[in-house]
Amino acid sequence: MTPDILWAPFGEFAFMRRALFGGVALACSAGPLGVFLILRRMSLIGDAIAHGILPGAALAFWLFGLSLPALTAGGLVAGLGMAGAAAWVTRRTGLREDASLAALYPISLASGVLLLGLAGRKLDLLHLLFGSALAVDTTTLYGMLGTAVFSLVVLALSYRALALDSLDPLFLRSISRFGPLAHAAFLTLVVLNLVIGFQAIGALMVAGLMMLPAAAARFWSRRLLVLLPLAAMVGAVCVWLGLLLSFYASLPSGPCIVLLAGVFYLFSVVAGPVHGLLRSSPFPMTV
Amino acid sequence: MIECHGLQWGAGGRALTPPLDLQLAAGSLTAVIGSNGSGKSSLLKVMAGLDRPLAGRVDVNVPLLGGVSYLPQQQHVDRQFPIRLAELVSAGFWRSRLGRSERQARLRQTLMDWGLLDLQTQGLHALSGGELQRALLARLSLTDAQVLLLDEPEAALDDVGLRLLWQHVERWQQEGRTLVLVSHNLAGLERKNCEGLLIARSGCIRAPIRQFMAERQRLGQVA
Repeated sequence: MTPDILWAPFGEFAFMRRALFGGVALACSAGPLGVFLILRRMSLIGDAIAHGILPGAALAFWLFGLSLPALTAGGLVAGLGMAGAAAWVTRRTGLREDASLAALYPISLASGVLLLGLAGRKLDLLHLLFGSALAVDTTTLYGMLGTAVFSLVVLALSYRALALDSLDPLFLRSISRFGPLAHAAFLTLVVLNLVIGFQAIGALMVAGLMMLPAAAARFWSRRLLVLLPLAAMVGAVCVWLGLLLSFYASLPSGPCIVLLAGVFYLFSVVAGPVHGLLRSSPFPMTV
Repeated sequence: MIECHGLQWGAGGRALTPPLDLQLAAGSLTAVIGSNGSGKSSLLKVMAGLDRPLAGRVDVNVPLLGGVSYLPQQQHVDRQFPIRLAELVSAGFWRSRLGRSERQARLRQTLMDWGLLDLQTQGLHALSGGELQRALLARLSLTDAQVLLLDEPEAALDDVGLRLLWQHVERWQQEGRTLVLVSHNLAGLERKNCEGLLIARSGCIRAPIRQFMAERQRLGQVA
């Protein structure tokens, strides 16, 4: 493979460049968020929230049409609303947070599909869930770049609290009141990334881009400071190669990106030096 | 100094003991004893401000944040978390205003004090239970808090670890810090100059540990 093949489509077509820059930016913020989701035992929450943003986006579409700010705001409100409602149910009833999210997201999903039906099915549900990276316009690109920069800054600021809250929450609570705030900021970032990403590669695909590189990275290092950039890098490479695959083989871009991340994950499960199958130890890894 | 006024605590809105009134002086060492489920760890969490009491209040003469430090039980720590031992211990600097070089010197000294210097680059997953316990104690000692609340500090420690723990406890007492620890090791505590606080459903009893040992058989039925 020559370097030309690896770059030519991006040099030639502006829509490919926009998809690449937006996707790489998203991968750089979604990967580290995925690492923390895994460490906080919230791996499935990204997927649940990805479904949860649907009614907000659908309602925004019904009221304002295909407007990026309206769709973003709608998705953000619905996603944060669902995450907040799940946290509230957990705090008031003691039901585990993953269980309350699992209970709320089918409600959100069903409401979203119903709203789309009422809106006259003009917005394709498949497009919303699986998106199209090749349809990233300049506004969406700026949104993705801004979200990535904002996420990385907030993540860097709350890094210590998030890490200690995942490692030893009782100790953190004994020395700082920042834990709940860091958790709320973190969930907001997850929702924000899913919302901004759902218009580019689809809500469910962003959840894949968030979790697969993070899960794969776990097989290559035991250091958090390595896992975070590694997950971002794996995601970024998958976006780049996925877009090329999509371009040359005329395949949908979102699934290409996520499937490449999936292939790398499977490879890591087998060959990763940290508890990969080829180097398996008698003590299975739990995280 | 810690003062409890009509303090009641417990889970699910049900108090575990009658109201507790208690004064623990600066520099004192108090061992909270009692049977499983009696509420020893819960009392420590209430004192640390981690849980709310059902009734009454706890007054501590230092700010809760920074003035009070809490050693959780090991099972609350995620041992698969991808950091090294030195990074775990460094979390004790959370509220510290020391500069970078001072921190490094202090960290190195603390790791040496707890016999952990050779393990500083080890991941948590590779530590034994006793090594992790020493790391948690080392982190606690970096906090410089005036009130130290230790939930089962002797857990998993071998003879060397126990010796290090009691050396530090003595030093902390000499520095005027107030110590409260949950323990099941009455025989070990008897050798220390230590007050005991027995938590039982019928009420809490405060007396020197030696006295508890002398009446162990009778108390065994109470607790």
